[in-house]
Formats: sequence, structure tokens, C-alpha cells
Amino acid sequence: MLLTDLVGIAVTTVILGSIYGLVAIGMTLIYGTLRILDMSQGSMVMVGSFIAWGVLVVAGWNPVIAILLAFLATFGLGVFTQLISVQPLMKRRDAIDFEMVTFITTFAVAIVFTNLALEILGPQQRNVTTVVAGGINVYHGVNLPYQSLLMAIVSIALMAGLGLFLARTRWGMAIRAVAQNLDAARLMGVPVGRLYPLTMGLASALAGVAGVFLGGLYFAYPQAGDLPLLEALIVVIFGGLGSLLGTVYAAYAIGLVQAIAEVFAGTTWSLPILYGVILVVLIVRPQGLLGKPSEARL
Amino acid sequence: MSAPVLGIADLWAGYGDAPVIRGLSVTVGQGEVAVIIGPNGHGKTTLLRAISGLLRPSGGRVELDGQPVQGRPPEHIAQLGLVHVPQGDGLFDQMTVEENLLMGAFPRASWRARRRALGHVYAMFPSIGGLAGQRARTLSGGERRLTALGRSLMRPSRIMLIDEPSLGLAPVAIDTVYRAIAELKAAQTTLLLVEENFTHVADIADAVHVVEMGQIVRSGSFGELASDPVVVATYLGGL
Repeated sequence: MLLTDLVGIAVTTVILGSIYGLVAIGMTLIYGTLRILDMSQGSMVMVGSFIAWGVLVVAGWNPVIAILLAFLATFGLGVFTQLISVQPLMKRRDAIDFEMVTFITTFAVAIVFTNLALEILGPQQRNVTTVVAGGINVYHGVNLPYQSLLMAIVSIALMAGLGLFLARTRWGMAIRAVAQNLDAARLMGVPVGRLYPLTMGLASALAGVAGVFLGGLYFAYPQAGDLPLLEALIVVIFGGLGSLLGTVYAAYAIGLVQAIAEVFAGTTWSLPILYGVILVVLIVRPQGLLGKPSEARL
Repeated sequence: MSAPVLGIADLWAGYGDAPVIRGLSVTVGQGEVAVIIGPNGHGKTTLLRAISGLLRPSGGRVELDGQPVQGRPPEHIAQLGLVHVPQGDGLFDQMTVEENLLMGAFPRASWRARRRALGHVYAMFPSIGGLAGQRARTLSGGERRLTALGRSLMRPSRIMLIDEPSLGLAPVAIDTVYRAIAELKAAQTTLLLVEENFTHVADIADAVHVVEMGQIVRSGSFGELASDPVVVATYLGGL
């Protein structure tokens, strides 16, 4: 094995893992807190991509504006989605199969968003300008585009920021408290009616920012969130449903396997190899890397 | 006596169609330590859950400082100054002891004073101070109970409900917990305790109420009930 290969694998792992992590960590946050597999997270990626296109291409503004605007818009959209598709079911959560029903209701909202985008913006794939051009030569022949570097840095910063928010702040701790013991958290005075929309808004905002970068890598179009949603689901389950740290590990583990497969087997084989590995790991360890069978986690 | 802190009138509550609390009435005055005793399955825990809002009463009134709160969500009732130490302690198992205590100060005004409150709790329960960085799930039963009690002191309360403070603890841990409760009484905290019997409450109870089949069947001072042969036979096991 050449050093070039190793450096190439390391670079690809960090880039892929960071973006996988950013898309998936919101799903974990939502599952850990609300016990919902939020199928609308892909829509947030799609909206983020379109915002990147609108800000960078149509308006010609600064990428920082695209990131901020995507964060705020998808935060609001996440709150809205929670209020229309989850909150009305909250009071009856013990009387229904809450996980399955919200899986469907959030999926329904996602389909509405996709079709609204189709109606308003059309089916064509919009090319999003590279957020930042150029790159650096890390090692002989291993090129690291600034775009990817920025994407990794922002993703890692946002994930670390989320960690600090949950560890240190009043509302962040309240989110963990609700995830671990709902009744006790309410007895402490935590208003769950406001905390749940806040949690879904926050998670959606992270997916929205991921969408800005993914738009730059691929395109902005109404189905732009479908593949990221599937990938996020896989990362989340691979990491152990509801475990934030597990999600981060899983994101980089998947990035690593994909990077190794790309270097040694080529792009055609990288995805089959990746999913083969995931299949084997999940058969051996069905609860995922850090998951504990049906228990509160965050 | 001045207006009661907690007034319960004709309260009905239960699960599904089966009422567990059947028209129960009781009041707790300012600074009073009221103890409700009764056998398992006669509604003690259900009563506390119906008062704090974890369970929605199907009828009757719950008044906190004269204000009706029945049917309000628990977070709302908590913000009005009701503290409920639930059965099983209600700790956040993946959080450290200190994080658990901090959650007790969640209401905005208490959050601002959280450092001072932490100091106060550690001074009152020095044994918890040594466990500050330890995760709650690694604590012993007695440590868990003290952490739950300490957490209930992180914000000012009008009344504190404590569900079976002695449940599942070794005798030495029960002594520690009841010493802590005696300190709460000394600090003029208004308390409503439930226990299966009144073995441990002799020194602290101002009023004892006996609950059976979801109703209060006897009330009186500890002395009065302790001299009633029927009550003694049932709840003191012939002590």
C-alpha cells in the first residue's frame, strides 16, 4: 500500500464522514428525544440545496449568507413540520403506535415538500456554484478541494456545537432530560410542548446546512433529499438508534469503508462493498455500534 | 390555620376506566408535614401523580395556594412551586449527579441562582458532593434517593411531595433519608409524604391520613393514630 493511498483514504474519510454525520445527527437527536424516525429530514437537505442555489447563483451573494439562511429557514420548517405532523399526535402517544404513525406523517410532509418544490421550481437539476473554488495538494496527487475542506470544518463545528449545547446549556440539558426520563423532566418544569418543536427545528437546521454543501457537490432539485435521507437512516441505525456518539462513529466508519473500497476496488464497487459490510455488522450487532436495546440514550 | 398550601376536594383519578382515587379529600397547611399511609395498591402513588399532573384527574379539585390546577400539565404545576419526588426517584440515569441537580433548577429564575443552590445542597448532603461527577445510573439506592431529594431543593417550593422515601432501601440508608427529611421539616418545608406504614414518621408527622380503596378513612395526629388499636394492628404490625 502506498502512502498516497493512505493519505487519500484519510482525506476522503474525513470529508464523507463529516457530511454523513451532519445529515444524520439531527435524525438521532429527534429519535432520542421524540422517538420518531423523522422522514422529513431529507426535505431539509433539499431546501438547503435550493437556498444555496438561490443565494449563490441567482442572487450571487456570499456563501456565509447561504449557510445562515439555510439554517434559519430549515429551523423554521422543522418547527412547522413538528407542529403539523407530530404535535397533534403527542397527547395520544400511548394509545397509538406512535413511532410508526409519525414515521408515516413525517414522510407525508416530506412528499408534500418535494411536490411543492417540483411545482414552484420545476424538475430540472440546478447547478449550484462551488461555494469556494480551488484546493490544496495535500500529498503527491491527493487533492483536497477547499469546498470539501470547508464542508468538513463546518460540519465538525456544527456537531461539536450541538454537543456543547446539549452538555452545557439549560435547554440542551432539558432535551437530554426529556430523552432519558420524560415524566421526571416535566416534573422539573420542562415545557415539552415547546421543547419538541425546538428539537426538531434544531435537527432540521443541521440537515439544511448539510444541504447547502451537498447542493454544491451535486445539484439542487426536488428529489435532492432522497439519497441523503436514505444514507442518514443507514448511519443512524448503524450507529445505534438514538446514540449521538454512535452516529458520529458510524458516519466516519462508513466514510472509512467507502474510502477504502474506492481506492482498492474503484467507484463501481465502493457502494456494494459498503452495504455488504453494513449488512454483516448489523447481523452480528443488530443494535448498532453504540446502541442499547430499547433504552433512552442521548 | 391559614389558607392551606394544598387543598384536594373529591378527587377522582385512575387508569383507563378503573378509578383508583375515589373522591379523596385532604388539605396540607403551610409548614405542615402530612403523611399518607396505606397498603400497596390503594392509590398512594396515583394520588401524588394526580396532584402533580402526571396523571389527569377525572374529577374533583386540586388547589395550590387556592388556585385550581387540576388538569394542568405537570410542567405548569411544577412552575407554580410544586415539587414531586416520584417513585423510583425519577433521576436522569445517563446524567451526572450534578447535572441531575441542575435540572432541578430548570425554571428560569432558579437557573440564575443555580450555583448558590448547588452549594446549599452540597452543604446539606455532603455525601452527594463527593459524587457530583458520577453518572446517576451507577449510584446505590440510598445515593439515588438523596440525589432526588437534593434535586428537589434546587428551586424554591411551596410544597414537596415525596413518594415512599423508605422504599427499597437498607435500614441504614432509610435513617439517612429520614434525617434529611427531618432537616427539610426543620427548614419549615411543607411536605406531603406517602408511606406504606408509619414506622419511620413518628418524629416528623404533624398529621397522618390513612388511605384505603382510594379514600381517606382516618386522619389525626401521629399520637392519635398510634393509640388506635385497629390502625396499629394494620399499619404498625403489632409494634
